[in-house]
This record gives sequence, structure tokens and C-alpha cells, in this order.
Amino acid sequence: MRIVDLLSKESILLNGAPKTKSEAIDMLIDLQVKGGRIADKAEYKKGILARETMGSTAVGEGIAIPHAKSSSVTGPSLAAMTVPGGVDYESLDGEPSNLLFMIAAPNDGDVHLEVLSRLMTILMDEDFRAKLLSAKSKEEFVDVIDNMEKEKFPDEVQSAAENDNKGYRVLAVTACPTGIAHTYMAAEALEKAGKKMGITIKVETNGSGGAKNILTKEDIENCDGIIVAADKSVEMSRFDGKKVISTKVSDGIKKPEELIENIVSGNAPVYHHTGAVAEDSSADNESFGRKLYKHLMNGVSNMLPFTVAGGIFIALAFLIDTIAGAPQDSNFGMYTSAAAFFKTIGNVAFNFMIPVLAGYIGMSIADRPGFLVGLVGGSLAATGSTFTAVAGDIPSGFLGALFAGFVGGYLMLGLEKLCDRMPKSLNGIKPVLIYPLAGLGIIAVVMCAVNPFMGIINTAVSDFLNHMGSSSKVVLGCILGAMMSIDMGGPFNKAAYVFGTAAITTGGYDIMAAVMVGGMVPPIAIALSTTFFKSRWTEEERKNGPVNYIMGLSFITEGAIPYAAADPVRVIPSCMVGAAVAGGLSMLFNCTLMAPHGGIFVFAVVGNWAMYLVALAAGSIIGMLMLAVLKKKNNKI
Amino acid sequence: MVSKTVTVTNEQGIHMRPAGVLAAEMKKFPGCTVTLKVGEKTAKATAIMQLMAAGIKCGSVVEITADGENEQAALDKAVELFESGFGE
Repeated sequence: MRIVDLLSKESILLNGAPKTKSEAIDMLIDLQVKGGRIADKAEYKKGILARETMGSTAVGEGIAIPHAKSSSVTGPSLAAMTVPGGVDYESLDGEPSNLLFMIAAPNDGDVHLEVLSRLMTILMDEDFRAKLLSAKSKEEFVDVIDNMEKEKFPDEVQSAAENDNKGYRVLAVTACPTGIAHTYMAAEALEKAGKKMGITIKVETNGSGGAKNILTKEDIENCDGIIVAADKSVEMSRFDGKKVISTKVSDGIKKPEELIENIVSGNAPVYHHTGAVAEDSSADNESFGRKLYKHLMNGVSNMLPFTVAGGIFIALAFLIDTIAGAPQDSNFGMYTSAAAFFKTIGNVAFNFMIPVLAGYIGMSIADRPGFLVGLVGGSLAATGSTFTAVAGDIPSGFLGALFAGFVGGYLMLGLEKLCDRMPKSLNGIKPVLIYPLAGLGIIAVVMCAVNPFMGIINTAVSDFLNHMGSSSKVVLGCILGAMMSIDMGGPFNKAAYVFGTAAITTGGYDIMAAVMVGGMVPPIAIALSTTFFKSRWTEEERKNGPVNYIMGLSFITEGAIPYAAADPVRVIPSCMVGAAVAGGLSMLFNCTLMAPHGGIFVFAVVGNWAMYLVALAAGSIIGMLMLAVLKKKNNKI
Repeated sequence: MVSKTVTVTNEQGIHMRPAGVLAAEMKKFPGCTVTLKVGEKTAKATAIMQLMAAGIKCGSVVEITADGENEQAALDKAVELFESGFGE
């Protein structure tokens, strides 16, 4: 606690001339009142006088420090008066007092003792006292104290300077694969926690709309450390040499305070960027499985826009042809020229899906050199090139693309290690010639060798699904629906989703329909529950309920996460059962969906849409009823 | 030279009044130098300002040292004041 922080200019009087001790006290009390921390002047004066009756507060050397602890004081403050002519303050040494400080302290705490100690420490210096007495203005008076405090307590100056710094103490980056919900929930949780802990924090969100609230170079230089709560790769080179915690985006939502605490306490490890490898070095404490997941999600999140936009274009093409009354044959969707336009463009976007998935997995693993091998490897998977049929044979599809991305990425890492032994003079051409050339050669050989097997597996899975009887199809629908709502955007959800989108490319439209309805159920079930079973939720949860209707209808499963996170044991099983029912019914009714996203907006192109609605409603209502049964009643409505 | 360690018992710590009492009592032993040591800070028992500057809180452990004429009596008096809580 610095003296200059307690002493406002309004509470300083230079060259006062009180005639008596009691007049001096009155003048000081008036100064204190001007400082604005005295709620009850009479009460405070009583305290000051009571203290003086126990013995004068004039301590010699011309100094008097009247003080009182009182409930009438709202916050610690000081008043000061110089009396060049001196006043008889009944000092122990009998000398007049010329430097008077009055302390006001609230009733609780040791503030008065700290302030006394501090004042005394600096007032022992005779030169300092002389400077105070000769101060020409209040500003000078304060400056003299300020300089003295800086000199006597040098440790604090640094921390005070740090506090003056306008920068943020803690920075954070949040990112999740889809970039719709998790990213922003983690950002909000971190900001809230920072506010609660009194720590300045700035959070950059790497959502689907690109990075927002981007951390500047200045921010990074001035901060204590950075929290990276991300399930996909984020730009890390800028954090080189700073303390960085790399963790899952869900940790940002669940334990923001712990993360901030770790940065502030300085426990976080210092991050060293290695250039080629985007996150390997940051992820020393990450398990291999988590890294794989992160790479996969980097591919999935970059693939998603192609899937959504292309899928809706294709869906539109089917819608246009439906309205035009085109025959539903193999040319359906290309019959009218308008439909052909949307279908063709949609297909162009769709054709990027698999290469982009592989390319961004490769990039996540091995940075830019990995992008080429992933992208080309994914394309080779899409065409199904083999040694005997280089132009393409059986496409190995998304399985091949996953293989290409991961194998290609790690092969490039190995290649870079091997190239470390090459002469330094070749460093310049490594990234522009050697890596791409060698990478292209390796991935071409690998994919041509592997494609036949991947093609066999992929075909087998498709065939297996195609040959499933109607009863086992229902089971599959149930499983997919449940998977969609186990973790709402996590690995299970994404596995089912990738399976669904991949099924579109092989004509498994019923699978996609089951997947989507499964993902729509959780938010709707929760929204219904907040409407019809209000007693099961907190006020905040009820208020946010209606938003979940929109989220659910738009097939944004992530809307259910806050509810599931708050009470996973009851909410997740309810959602799973509801979603499983919906998925199973969708399969039972032979509903089909050619668009991989869109929710209610693509219902027009859902095959057997009326029964699809029935499936959705049934699943949602069952989910709602499960929630009503499992969740406890809260009597405080 | 004699010394003894005491613990501050009065709730408010060694604020100005106890410091004044201590200084006044210690001045009665002019031939003896009484010093308090709290943590890294030291203060002459006769100097109110030094005592204040030491900022001695309740529960602090204080080492009192007396050196000179009548040192045992001076130390005993100081210890007595601390143990009595300076009459608070």
C-alpha cells in the first residue's frame, strides 16, 4: 500500500497555521473529509480524540501522526498538513510539531499499522522532512513522497510499473474443430474467470468466422503467459519464448480458473517454437492419442465448409428438379439447367472434401511440407490410383484420405529429420525443392501401394451397410444417433458425422439422415424440457432454453453442451436415448438426406420428410421425458 | 549483553501508543541500549519512530537485546511490557 495512493491532493494543506492542537485536529479532519473516505465526521473525530487522550501522537522530530480506526471510515486514507510556524501538539520531547499526517483506517485489518510503519520509515530521513516542509505546491509535496517511496521500497516500483502497464496479464486462444460453440464458450468462461480473479485477460477466438480479437505483438510481449485451449492447430510461432499452456478446449470451459492460476503463478513451461513442427514441441505433455485427435480435427474442421456449402448446393439442385417435376432417374439433379448449375458447382466443392481433409491433417502434423503430401495423397485416395491403374480405380475415399494425411504427415517429419544431415548450404532449397519433390514421390508410391487395400475395406464397409437388412439398419441408426449425442462435437460425434458424410459420397443417404436427426435431438430435447419442465433447471438454464430450439433445428448439437457439462450423468444419457430413437426411426422410415448439414433448412430435400419430422419429434420428446425423470426437481423456481 | 525473545500479544500490534509507552520506559535506563529485532528490521526501543517503522504486528516474534548498565533490569522491564500487552 503506497502512501501516494492514500493521499489525495484535496487532503493536503501546505503552510497551515493552527494555533492549538485542537484547531490542528479540526483542520486535519476537514482535509480527511475532503478526501471522501469519511462517512461520519463526528464519529471519526471521536476516535481521533479518544486516541489523543491516551497520549499524544506527536512522536518527536516535529512529526505528529494522529490516527483512528473507525467504522465511520470507508477506506484507508491520509491527510497531510505542513505548519512552518509549528504548533504545540503536546509532543513527548516538548518541541512544536510542523509536519502533521492524519490516518483514517477502517475497523478491520492492519492497514493503520502498515501505513504508520511506512510513514515512519520514510519520515526518519531528515532531508526528506525538509523537502516536504519546503514544498511549494501539493504536486511537489506528493512528488517528494513518491520519489522517497520509490527509493525506500524499490521492489514495489517494479510491480507498480507492471500494474500501470495497460497490457493484459494473461492471454488465451480458443479454437475447436467446428468453431461454432466450444470456441466461444471457452472464451467466455476464461474472461469470466479472469474478471472474478481480478486478472486482466484477452482471449482470441479462432472460430469458423476466422480469428477474432487477435492478439497483437504488443499483447504477447507484455503478458505473463498464454493459454492455448484448442482442439485444432493454432498459429504458435508468435508465442516463442513465452510461457504457454496447451490444453483441450473443454478445459477452457471446465477449469478456466485453474488455467489462469497456472499462468499467473509462473508454473507454465516456456514454449520454444521449432519452425517446422507446429505443435509437437508445445505438446510434450499431450498424449499421442490426443495429438492424433487434434490433427484429425484440423482436417475435419477445414473440410466442413466444403461439405456444408457443396452439400446444400447439391440439395438445392435436387429441390429444383423436384419442383420442376424431373424424373427421379440417374440424371436427377441435372435435369434442368438451374439444377445442373447447382449440382455441378456443389460437386466441385464436394470433390475438394477428401483432399482437404488429408491435406490439413498433413499440415497439422508437418506444417507446410505436410500440406502437399496430404493434399496430393488425399486426391490420390479420391481417384483410387494404383500402380496398374494410375488414372484411378477403386476410390479409397475418406479412409484412404485419413491414411494419406497421417502417414504423409509423419513421413514428412521423418524426411525433415533425415535432411538435417545434409549440408547447410542446401538449407535454402530444402523447403522449395527437396521436401516437395521427395514428399510427392513418396506419397505417390505409398498411395498407389495402399489404395487397392483401402479400396477393398471401403467397399466392404459400404457393401456391408448396403446388404444390411432393415432390422439391422435400424440398429445402425440407433448407434449413429447415440454417437452423435454422447459428446456433442467430440470424437464420437465427429466419427459418426464423418461416417455419415462419407456415406453420402457412396449413396448412403439414409445414414446421413439418421446422423443428422441424432445430432438435432439433444438441443431440442433440452429446449423442450426447459419449456415444459421448468423446475428441473436453473434460472439461467431456463433463459437460454429457447436458443436451443434454433440450435437444434439448425443441427448445431453443440448447443446442448452447457447443459450436459453442468449435469453430464443425467443429461447425456437422456440425449443419447432420444437421439438413438430418432436415428433408429429415421432408418425405419427409410428417410434419406443428401446434404450433410443444414437441419430444418434442408428438410425440403429429405426423403420421406414427414416421417423424418416424426422421428425428430419422437426422439426429442423421449429425451425431454428422460430428462424430466432423471433430473431432480428444484423447488426454488 | 542479555537478550530474550517474546511474542507480541496485543491485538493491534506495536502501534503508536505501546511504542510510546515502551520508549518512555526505556528512557529510564539511560546507560543501557535496548534494541528490538523483528525479522530483518531492528529498532532502538527508545525511538518511537524506529519502533513504528518496524511495523510490529500481533503475533510477531521479537528479540529484545539490552546492553549496558542495568541491562538485566531494562530487559526485564521490556519483557514485562510485551507480556502484559502494554496494558491493552
